[in-house]
Formats: sequence, C-alpha cells, structure tokens
Amino acid sequence: MPNRNRLHGEEGRAYWSMVLPAFSIYLLVMAFPIVLSIVLSVSNYSGGKMFGGEPWGFAGLKSYARVFSDPLFWNALKNNFYIVLLSVFGQLPLGFIFAYIIYRRLVKWPGFWQGVLYVPNIISVIVVGLLWQTIFSPNGPIAEVMNDLARAGFQSRLEALFASVGGFNVDDGLVSKILDMAGPAALDWFSDPVPELKELILSYEGAPLSELIGDLCNLFVPRWSPEFLSKPNIAMLPVLFVILWMYTGMYLILFLANMQKIDSQVIEAARIDGASEGQVMRYVILPALSGTIVNSAILAISGSLSSFSLIFAMTGGGPSRVTEILSIYMYNNAFLGRPNLPLANAISLVMVVISFILIGLTKMAEKRYGGKEE
Amino acid sequence: MKRMIAAILLIAVAAVGGFAQEKVTLTVMNYQQADQAGYPEDVKIWQDFQAANPDITLNIEVLFNDPYHQKLQAYAAAGTMPDVFYVWPGARSAVIHEKKLAKDLNQLLGAAYLKDFSASATNPANQLGGYMAMLPQSFTYTSVMYVNTKLLADNGFKPPKTYADLKKMVPKLKAKGIAVAMLPNKDAWPMQSCLFSTVVGRMAGDDFLDAILAGKAKFTDKPFVAALEVIQNLYKDGILSREDVQIGYGEAAGMFASGKAAIYIDGDWRAGAYITDKASGKALISPAAQDKDFALMPFPAIPGEKNRGVVSAVAGTGWAVSASLPAGSAKEKAATRLIQYLYSNDVQAIRFNTGAYVPTRKGVKADVEPLVAKVPVFYAENPATCYVIDGVLDPAVYNVINDGLIAIGLGTKTAAQVAAETQAAFESWKASK
Repeated sequence: MPNRNRLHGEEGRAYWSMVLPAFSIYLLVMAFPIVLSIVLSVSNYSGGKMFGGEPWGFAGLKSYARVFSDPLFWNALKNNFYIVLLSVFGQLPLGFIFAYIIYRRLVKWPGFWQGVLYVPNIISVIVVGLLWQTIFSPNGPIAEVMNDLARAGFQSRLEALFASVGGFNVDDGLVSKILDMAGPAALDWFSDPVPELKELILSYEGAPLSELIGDLCNLFVPRWSPEFLSKPNIAMLPVLFVILWMYTGMYLILFLANMQKIDSQVIEAARIDGASEGQVMRYVILPALSGTIVNSAILAISGSLSSFSLIFAMTGGGPSRVTEILSIYMYNNAFLGRPNLPLANAISLVMVVISFILIGLTKMAEKRYGGKEE
Repeated sequence: MKRMIAAILLIAVAAVGGFAQEKVTLTVMNYQQADQAGYPEDVKIWQDFQAANPDITLNIEVLFNDPYHQKLQAYAAAGTMPDVFYVWPGARSAVIHEKKLAKDLNQLLGAAYLKDFSASATNPANQLGGYMAMLPQSFTYTSVMYVNTKLLADNGFKPPKTYADLKKMVPKLKAKGIAVAMLPNKDAWPMQSCLFSTVVGRMAGDDFLDAILAGKAKFTDKPFVAALEVIQNLYKDGILSREDVQIGYGEAAGMFASGKAAIYIDGDWRAGAYITDKASGKALISPAAQDKDFALMPFPAIPGEKNRGVVSAVAGTGWAVSASLPAGSAKEKAATRLIQYLYSNDVQAIRFNTGAYVPTRKGVKADVEPLVAKVPVFYAENPATCYVIDGVLDPAVYNVINDGLIAIGLGTKTAAQVAAETQAAFESWKASK
C-alpha cells in the first residue's frame, strides 16, 4: 500500500481510481448487508417496505433474548457442534491419514483411491442429500433389506409353530402364541385380540398354509423405518455419516497437495535414520503441515457452521426439527410462515460470533502446539 | 375543397392519435411449477391474454413453493411489489394483508362484478387483513378421504362411517399388505391441515379456538388434548402407519393409486393429481375407475365428537393487485383487466377442468373427469365446516402443532406433552405481540 503522505496529486488519483470501484462494490454487497443485518437484529421491523414505508425502530436485544430462550436454538447449536466436532476431529484426521497413505504409496493404485475418496465432493450437494434421503427412506434399500430379514425370521418361527401343532389346527392357544410373537403393539389393532385373530385365521381354511403365513407376516412383522431419526440424541448420526463421507476427500486433496511440497529427501533421511512410518508422520509431516491443518480447521469450522443445503435436502431439519442446525433454524424463522427478520438476523449474527470464537480458539491452539510450515 | 380535405385529414390524425392506446407493462408474479398438472394450460392462459391485449405487455416471473414466498417478501421489503401477484388469504401472506400492500378488490372490481362469486369468497372476514386483498379462486375443503371402494369391497368392507369401522379393517387389510389409511406427513403441514383441523373441529369446535385466542381457554384443556389423542390412537390402532411420518407429500398419491392403501387423506385439491395429464395422456387413476371405484368422504364419526361431521375448510388462494398502482392510472386499468380475465368464466373453467380447484365463480361449467366432478358433490353433502388451524393461528403456534403431530406419529411425545408445548408457544407468541 502506498505511503499515506504520498497519496496526493496524480498518484493519489490513480490509487483511488483503482481502489474505489472495488471498495464501493465491497461496501455495497458485503459491508452494507452486514450492517443492515446488525440493525435489523435490534429492530422491530415486521415486514413491508423497509425504507420509506411504515416506520420501524429500535427494539433493543429482544430478538437475542428470544433466541437464547428458545430450546430449538440450543438443539440447533448442539447439532452444529456435532458437525464442527466431526469435521475437525473426523474429517481432518481421516483426510490427513488417507493423504499420508496415498502420498507414501502405502496402498496399490493411489490415484484410484484418491479419485474414489474425492468423488463425493464433485456431486451436487442436493443430489447427495436426496440420494441419502432415499437410502434412509421407509421405502429405500436399507428398509427393504431390514424388512426382508425381519420377515424371514418371523416366517420361520410361524412355520415352526404351525408344524408343532400339525398344520392348520387353530385353537386359542395357537392364536395366543402368535400374538405373543407379534408383540404388545399388535394387540391395539384388535378390539378383542384372540377371538378376532382366530376368526381371521379361520377365514383361510382351505387355502394353502403358506398364504396364511405370508399374510400373518404382512400383518405382524413391523416394517423397518428410520425411527432413530426421531431420537434427539442419535438423530444426527446418519447426517454426520454423510457429512464425513462427503467432505473427507476435500481435506485429503488439501493435505496431499501440501505433502507433495515437502522435500522428499527429509523423509528419506528420517527413514535411513531408522524412523518408522508413524514417526515420519508424527515428527516430519505433521509439524510441516501445521499451518495447512489450521487453515483446514478454519475451513471446516466455518463450513460446518454455515452448512445448510445437504441437511436441508436430506432431512429439512426434521423429523420434528430434531436435525435442525443453526442455518436451517434461521431460514425457518426468516421464511417459514410469518417471517421474523429481526430474529433471523439475530440468529445469523450469533452464528458469526460463534465462528469467530471457534476460529480464535483454533489459532490459539496452533500458536501453542503448531510447528512451522516450511 | 383543399381546405376541407386538410380538415378531414387533421381530424383523422387527431382521432387516431387520441384512440391509440399507450402500451402498458405489468409485472406479474405467477405461482406455478412446470411438472405440475395443469402447467401447459396455465401457459396458454397467459399467452391468450397477451394475444388478446396487445396494448399490455406482461413481464411474468414464475416461482413455486418457498422461493415464491421469499421473493415476494423481498419485493415487499424493497417496496417494489409486482403489479399483479398470487397470494394466500391467511398467515402465509401475512405481510401483504397486514401492511395493506394489495388494493381492496371490493373497490377495484366493484359489487356488480363480485356478485358472480360465492359469498365465502367475497367475505373480507375470511382474509387476514379484514379487507379484500385478494379474491379467493376457490373455497377449499382441506380434509377429504379418497376411498378406494373396490379395494374395500374386495376385502369385504364398506366405506367406513365410524372410527370403529376403520379400526375393524386393520387386521384384514394389513394381512393383505394394504394400509387402511395413508397420510404422508414428512412435510409437517399435511396432518395438521388435512386431518387434525377437522378432528379439532369435531372434538372442540371453532368456538373453542376462538376462546383460546381470546385467552378464555387453553390448549391444555380437555377438548384439544382429546383431539390430539385421536391422532395418537390412529397410529396406535394401526389405522395410520408410523412410516407415513417419513413419507414426503409428493410420494403418497402414486402409492394410493397403486393400491398400497385403501384410504388416502388429503385436501380436495389432490383430486387433480389423479386425473388425466393432458400432456402425456396418462392418469394415475383412469376416468372409468375414478367413476366406479373411488369415492370422496369426510373422516368418519369419532367417538366423543361434539360437532358431528364438520370438515375443515378455508378460503383458497387468488390474485391481488399492488396497492402502489395509482388510482385511475393506465396501469391500474390494465391490472384490473388482467384480474377480470383471470377470474373470467373461460379461465376458471380451464382451472376447474385441470382439477386445480372448484371455482368460487358461480356457474362455471367444465367437462371434468369423474373424481373432480365428485368434489362439488362432496361440498354439497358436507356443508358444515370448521377452521383450518393454520388459517387461524399464528405460524409461531401452528408450527409447534405441526412438529408435535410428527412426534405423536413417531411415538416420541404424548398428546398431553404436545398440548403443553402448544400452550407455551401460544403464550410466548402473545407476550411478543
């Protein structure tokens, strides 16, 4: 940057003529929205024309108070932290290890593995979200396999039961045993379980036993459904798995590119001195890449906090908002039903503050433990 | 003579100049999706207007679902509302109504024009702002049971009249791999809009919801909890499957048509999904089968219901004109002409024909397929209606109900818990007002 004292005359004009357009665009598309977001977050703006319409004014920190008192915010924050933790302590180490394995050619066809691990990154996020949503759906492939397994088990037990009574010999005892096998939930489907089920079974008299057994399986085998998605403590597991699957390849490429910059003679010297692969990784590669690791961690943290599209496509924050993250929570407040822009802006600013804190912590960790990148 | 010719020419030039109309450009926001039934007809509707009105240029922006609402919201914030736009009568378009961003169509269209529409459509009380910001194209029944009568008959059942009838079907139909009823609820709103509103209407009634809004009753009171328990029992008794909570709204119509369920619960608008698609010539349910094998019914009588047979219904969507158009301006006149065209007998007949809705315009005749023809019959047979919850409660409250109904479906929350959460959300919303 030129010396401030020298910014006059022709040089000053030339300087400003080059800086001003970009600076103006920055003000318009970056600085103005940020300032507007801060202003809106402490306002009572309730929609309609923002400038020159119905007046709106300062409302204090009401929106922030509402954010922090909303259990949905804490649930979304918790989910975001799961993603941050997974990114920093899952994607980065895995990406690093894969990169090291490929870089040191510890596997055959390293180029192939590099490609395979990176492929999820080049697929559209929406496509990935919909793909995994289908995989986990009640009509998807996992459900089909689980249903087939459950059905096969129930069917063999039914066949054994009918064999033990010598075929189609229906009495209350047999019916009760079938109901026991079906479990307590099935009892709710009948007003009077034993006589009603007995009547149903007797209606198959004359039909092949296999038909009756097949229909009893239809009736009693519970269909697999990703109900675990509804449990707040484990609902995020499938989402986290997909995030790990999708983004690890990106860090692999980042680490691999930087490993390739390391002087191979240093590694060879370490190996000649008797260092194992693990020691080479620990004492040569890792310190040399500490800067890259920090930058990757910053990328991972900011990416995790701002992630939206994958989870929006995969679960939409559901079921019952248990997989909601901060960005979806903000989106829902901004656009779902009656928009609440002050609240949505307050959420976005809380996200920014959290990002700064986490990035600051990462920087501190690097200062404390990091090596110097060559 | 020369003077006379010159005078005639002068008058002719003046006349032509006087009559030549200035070309007006209208910005329009249309709500449409290219893969929806009725899309080609919609495109033609706009093309026909353009061809018949060369003095008006239409700049049409077409969006669907949330992106539409977001863009409209952004236009409202920027103070650049489109001249003509599509709008909801309730909370979904709250800003339009509350900030009076649309003209009062009562004044713009006039009583003589509006007399051709049903009273429910022209009643300002049916709109959030208390004035006629839009003209509902339909009055929608949000809770209809589409019943596959042939499937039921094949298994020895008649269409259900009571809850007990429904429950009685469970073992036999389940044994045949058929769900008794299907209501996909992954998108959270269908259960509330397409069934729970009717159940609340039956068990508690509109008076009860009015009392809640007036602070004289609570969501934790017995009638509302009882309504939630009905939904809880539907899952517990096996009438609805818990997998329905994981099924998206768009997936279920095809599943019902292929015989995976004997009954499908949705709004009256869904009839359009089953009729013949004009572009492909294919129908999910053939017109012949629509006629003899399918029926539209209200949800059966529920034990303990207070208001027998009521069905949730609400004023439907429609068109609005921006309040920013100067009164008496050429733009306002052009917008009025467009609105009158959109609500004309011909256009409404096309909409009716595609199964989009049954028009509020009186006397619209169309050659509709049997299932769509059954919709007005359903209206006539079920005149008693009740509130649709998302039409009367604020999103801050009804979104909690929507999520709670999913939790009930999954079996992770009880009716009492959801009622308590709803009451808490209501109190929080009231405090924020």
